[in-house]
Order: sequence, then structure tokens, then C-alpha cells
Amino acid sequence: MPNNNIDIINVIETQLKDKVQIQLGQLGKAAIVTNNGLHRDTLKAMVEADEKTAISAITGLDLGANIGVYYHIRTSNAFLTIKAEVPKDNPKIQTITDIIPGSAFHEMEVADLLGVVFEGNPSPGRLVLPENWPEGVYPLRKDFKANEVKLSPPKEEAKLPDEVKLVKIIIGPQHPALLEPEKFAVTVDGETVTKVEPRIGYVHRGIEKASESRTYLQDVYLVERICGICNSIHACSFVETVEKILKTEVPPRAKYLRVVTLELNRLHSHLLTLGHAGLEIGYETLFQYFWRDREPIMDLIELTSGNRVYSSLMTVGGVRRDLKDSDIPKIKSTLSELRKKLPFYRQIYEDEPSIKARMKNVGVLKREDALKLCVVGPVARGSGVDIDVRKDEPYEAYGEIPFKEIVYTQGDTWARMNVRMDEVEESINIIEYAIDHLPTGPFRVKAPRVVPAGEAVNRVEAPRGELFYYVKSNGTAFPDRVKVRTPTFSNIPAFLKTAIGENIADIPPNFVSLDPCFSCTDR
Amino acid sequence: MANIITWARVKSPWVLHFNSGACNGCDIEIVALLTPKYDVERFGVKLEPSPRHADVLLVTGGVTQQCAERLKRIYDQMPQPKFVVAIGACACSGGVFAGCYNVVGGVDKVIPVTAYIPGCPPRPEAILDGVVKLLNALSPPKPKKQPKQEKPPGLPKEEAKPEVAKQEAVAPQEVKPTVEEAKPDAKQ
Repeated sequence: MPNNNIDIINVIETQLKDKVQIQLGQLGKAAIVTNNGLHRDTLKAMVEADEKTAISAITGLDLGANIGVYYHIRTSNAFLTIKAEVPKDNPKIQTITDIIPGSAFHEMEVADLLGVVFEGNPSPGRLVLPENWPEGVYPLRKDFKANEVKLSPPKEEAKLPDEVKLVKIIIGPQHPALLEPEKFAVTVDGETVTKVEPRIGYVHRGIEKASESRTYLQDVYLVERICGICNSIHACSFVETVEKILKTEVPPRAKYLRVVTLELNRLHSHLLTLGHAGLEIGYETLFQYFWRDREPIMDLIELTSGNRVYSSLMTVGGVRRDLKDSDIPKIKSTLSELRKKLPFYRQIYEDEPSIKARMKNVGVLKREDALKLCVVGPVARGSGVDIDVRKDEPYEAYGEIPFKEIVYTQGDTWARMNVRMDEVEESINIIEYAIDHLPTGPFRVKAPRVVPAGEAVNRVEAPRGELFYYVKSNGTAFPDRVKVRTPTFSNIPAFLKTAIGENIADIPPNFVSLDPCFSCTDR
Repeated sequence: MANIITWARVKSPWVLHFNSGACNGCDIEIVALLTPKYDVERFGVKLEPSPRHADVLLVTGGVTQQCAERLKRIYDQMPQPKFVVAIGACACSGGVFAGCYNVVGGVDKVIPVTAYIPGCPPRPEAILDGVVKLLNALSPPKPKKQPKQEKPPGLPKEEAKPEVAKQEAVAPQEVKPTVEEAKPDAKQ
């Protein structure tokens, strides 16, 4: 059994005494300020001490003369930030991909948006910006001016070399299996996939930059629109981060109401994915069934918030609307109707031959790979890695609500879908418990108008996994930096790994089992 | 003959959905249209995966720089006559993302748009209403039976304005299925 009681701060203190500066209580459990080069030693020490050490995000931020590179690390029981700085005129830092392979995408994003050169990163190149974006223009630097960007004409796509056996198949940007525009170049040898090259960034809108020119309250509206599926959780995470800077305590009733909203969001997101998986394996009846049962949940979101998709309930200091007592019977009856239907779906997933044939042993992600690639959410839990922010670092009212953490060990597509199936039931339990134990009192407190200078990190469990927010305030009406790392961003490496060596026809079910959301990923 | 083609087009419009940088809100609502509660197939509307067979292009999102070129290419691949419906506030004008460095801001900056359906996201009923209004505008002036729709009382104000281009007046061209070019997005 893995040891969950490692004191990671102690490990760093003993191994790197006097070389690094440890600031307790900042940006998670502690912020470790490292001089150039020592971020690697610190990370190595952490990885050796704790197998669950994983990268949550890398934030790059413009600090004036320097560019800050903050590595946000989660271990089995703590969340830490390693701070490093590089000079702006020579922004070079050594890569950490050899220590934590899952960090490759994170580094590429910082390189794209801030121009930091990660020496030794195996795949330098564009990640989210267009291919014809001008060189030397970095949107997240403070001197960037959006109206001065001149894109060169789009490049003709390079002709593929004639290879004798290998065929390159381009999936996307417009493709029936993808709801969102993304491109995957899949190289196949016969029917077997040998290589997958992703090209994300088709939905990159520049929300992180846009949030710097809007006030905090306007940003709640903006970050909610990062994703139309898991919208409440984005808003919730942002307001929690701002509340941490403000040191505002949210009243208990608001905490429970937030839990209800977040779990309704999780319910509709999971039902959507379970149905979508049916569509991808050609089982359209299952798709229609799941989406039929999703509609009552959409009605509940509308009932509690007034809007079908964007609930817009979260605000700094609480929620914007109270739950009416007269709505509670309707919520309860809808949820119990859904609960009655779950055994039927479970049975389909257990017994149906087409589900078993297309999902079992497809896209197997082993536990050690899941740890190495730093995957999150149902993808990690389907591979036997028990991470769930709701349990590990309870936020809102999750610490007071009993619920089970669902873990499957098979690591295949089937296990990942079953994690979601079981979580649907857990979500119903959570909502019912929260409604039964709803505290009385105000649902909102007045938060200070002016946000003092400071910075905070926050993570929450979105339907797709751990969602990370970093907000830096400089005391003005606008945030200095908002960094969002969404769950799909961490989960894509898992698809790139598991697709290789499998049949090309297994790509759709494998891909959907990650529950990919690219509007989140690209922002 | 022209009447027959118009009749066939109005009775079974094949739609293609393209996400040009949307947040998934509108896209999921379009998919929800296909599912049992709304079920647009009863109006003959079919979601078609290939641009070469589609009559109507449903575009969501504020059009990012990467997608602009793709959107134009998809539009060019569609056979004449073709109609574009911009769905959602972002597709209409850029919405909340107007002014972002990677967003062009509105579908009509890239391709001509036939109808706009505002909302963030528009309700499935609103999308349905917009498509039906577009179809009514296409059909010959004789009185048409309005498709039955249930409208719940809380329906937001719907302002689909099908300012239909003069395309339907043009003599109907032969709609020839193009097969000579391999589809770049063909998967198997």
C-alpha cells in the first residue's frame, strides 16, 4: 500500500537545506522559491519520496524584468508550488519532462504564450496559437498589443512523404466524430495505429488574456464561458480563488447551494458522455436513452438557476439566488426517477455484447502510466489512482457530505465509463443529502469591492477531473493574471499513449472515454 | 421541376454543424435537438457529417483564427444553393469573446450568413424556430402548414431574422455529389 502520510515539506527541507526558500501557507501548502536549476532537484526529491507526485499546472507570468515560471505540484496529500524566474531577455529554463513526462504539454503552452524556452523539451512547437502566428509575439506578456498582430497567410499543408506501408489519416478539424474542431494526424500500419500527432488550439480564444482586461465580476461571466458543459465549476473555482485573496468566508447555506449546482452540472455532463460513448460505438439507441434522461436534469438546472445551460449562480461571496422550498419536491422526484433508471444502464454496460466488444480491454492505461502522465479525474480513477479533489482537499461543503470515491482498476474504456456511471449515483446521493441538510441563513455575504494585491491557487473536481485556477491580483480593479488548467489538458497524453498499437476503429470509444472537452483545453 | 426541388429541399434539409471556436454550449444544444425530447428529424432535418451533402451549415462560435480558413473551405465545399445559420451570440457578433486576440468575431466576417439565432446559448426551441423560419422563407409563396411546435411559457424572446439571400430565386442548379476528390476528413 502506498504511504499516504509523507511529509513532503520535511523531505525537501532535509534534502535541499538552505538552498531553497520555503514559504509556508502560500499558493497551496507551501511555495518553494528555487534558484535557476534547483527546481529540477526539488522535483526529483519529491518524485522519489512520493509516487503520486504529479504536475497540476505550469503558470507562466510576466513579472516585469523577469518571467515567472510556477510549477504547481500535487502529491498524495499536499499541493505545492515551486517558483522559478527567468530573465525576459534570455528566457531559458531546463525542462522537467524527463522527471515528470506528463509536463510536456504544460511546458509547450508556456512556451507558446510567454516565449519561455524549455531546454530539452522533446516536442517544441506551437500548441495553442495558429501555425501562422508571428514569431516573437507572446500574447500573455504585458507589452502585447492585440491590434498589432499581423498573421502571415496560412501555410499550405505540407505534402505527406510517400511512405510505403504507413498511411497518415487526418481526423478533423471538421469530423463527424468530433463535436469540436481539433486535428489528429493518425499514422497507421494496416489497421494498427503507430503514431498520433495532435494539433489542438482550434478553439483558442485567448480567455486568459481577456480576463486581464475585465473586472473580477465580469470575469466570473467570462470564465463561465470557457466551457458550456462544466460551466458552473469554472465560475465556482474562480470565485473561490478570489475569495481566498479577499479572505472572505462564504456562509454555510451558500456552500451547500454551490454543491447542489456543481453536482447537477456533473450529472448532466456524465450523462452526456455516457450517451456520447454509445454514439461513437454505433449504439445509437443508448445515446438517445441517455440524452432523454439528461433532459430532466437540464430542467432542474433551469428550475434552480433560470437558465438551461449557463446557471450563472456563482458570485464572489456566495450564490446569486436562493433555492425555493417549493422547488425541492420537484428536484427530489426528478432525481429518484433517474435513480430508478440506473440499474437498467448498469445492466447494459455489464451484459451487452457490443459494449463489451468495443470497450473492454480497449485503451488500457496502466496505473504506473496514469501516475507518470499525471492524468486526472475519471481517467485516473479508472486506472486505480484514487485522486478526487472533493476527498483530498474538500472545498465548499464536500467535507461534511458523505460520499464514495469511485475507483476501478482495469484502466480500460469500460472502467472509465463505469466510473462515470457510479458517480452519477453518488451525485444523486450528494444532492439529496445537501438538500436535506441545507443550513438556514444568508446565501450570500457582501464581499469587499476592492481586491487587495495577492495571489492564490485553487483546485476543484470538475466532471472531467481536477480543475486548477491561479489568480494574481495587483490591487487594481482588474486581475493581473488568471491561469486556468483544465482537466482535458492533462488527460490528452493518456489518449496519445493508449491509442498506439490499437486498432484504428478503437480510436472513437477510447477518445470519448476521456470525455475530451477542447473548448476547456484551448481556452 | 423547380417546385419539386424546392419542395424536396424544404421537406428534408440536411444540416452540417461546424464549431468554429464555441464553448460547447450551443453545440450541445444542437445535439439535444436530435434527441427524443426535441427530435428535429420529424421535420426532415438530418444532421449530415459531410459538407458535400449538406444544404444548411449551422455555425457556432466566434470563429478563431485557425478555424476561419477551415470554415471558408467547408462553405466552399457545400453544393449550391447553400444557407448558413449563425447560432449563438458568439456566432452572431463575437459575443463575450469579441476583441480577444485570436477571435475574428462573428461568422459573417468570413462567410455570408442567411439567418442569425441569438442567445447564450439559444434554447433548442429557438434553434428549431430559426431553422423552420428559414425553411418557410425558402418555400414557394403558397400557404404552408406551420409545423407544430410546443413552446413552453418561459421561451426567451427569439429574434431569428431569416434575411434570406436571393439564392432561391436563381434557377436551381444541379446538385451533383462530388466524388472525385477524396475527403480530407474521411476517417476509415
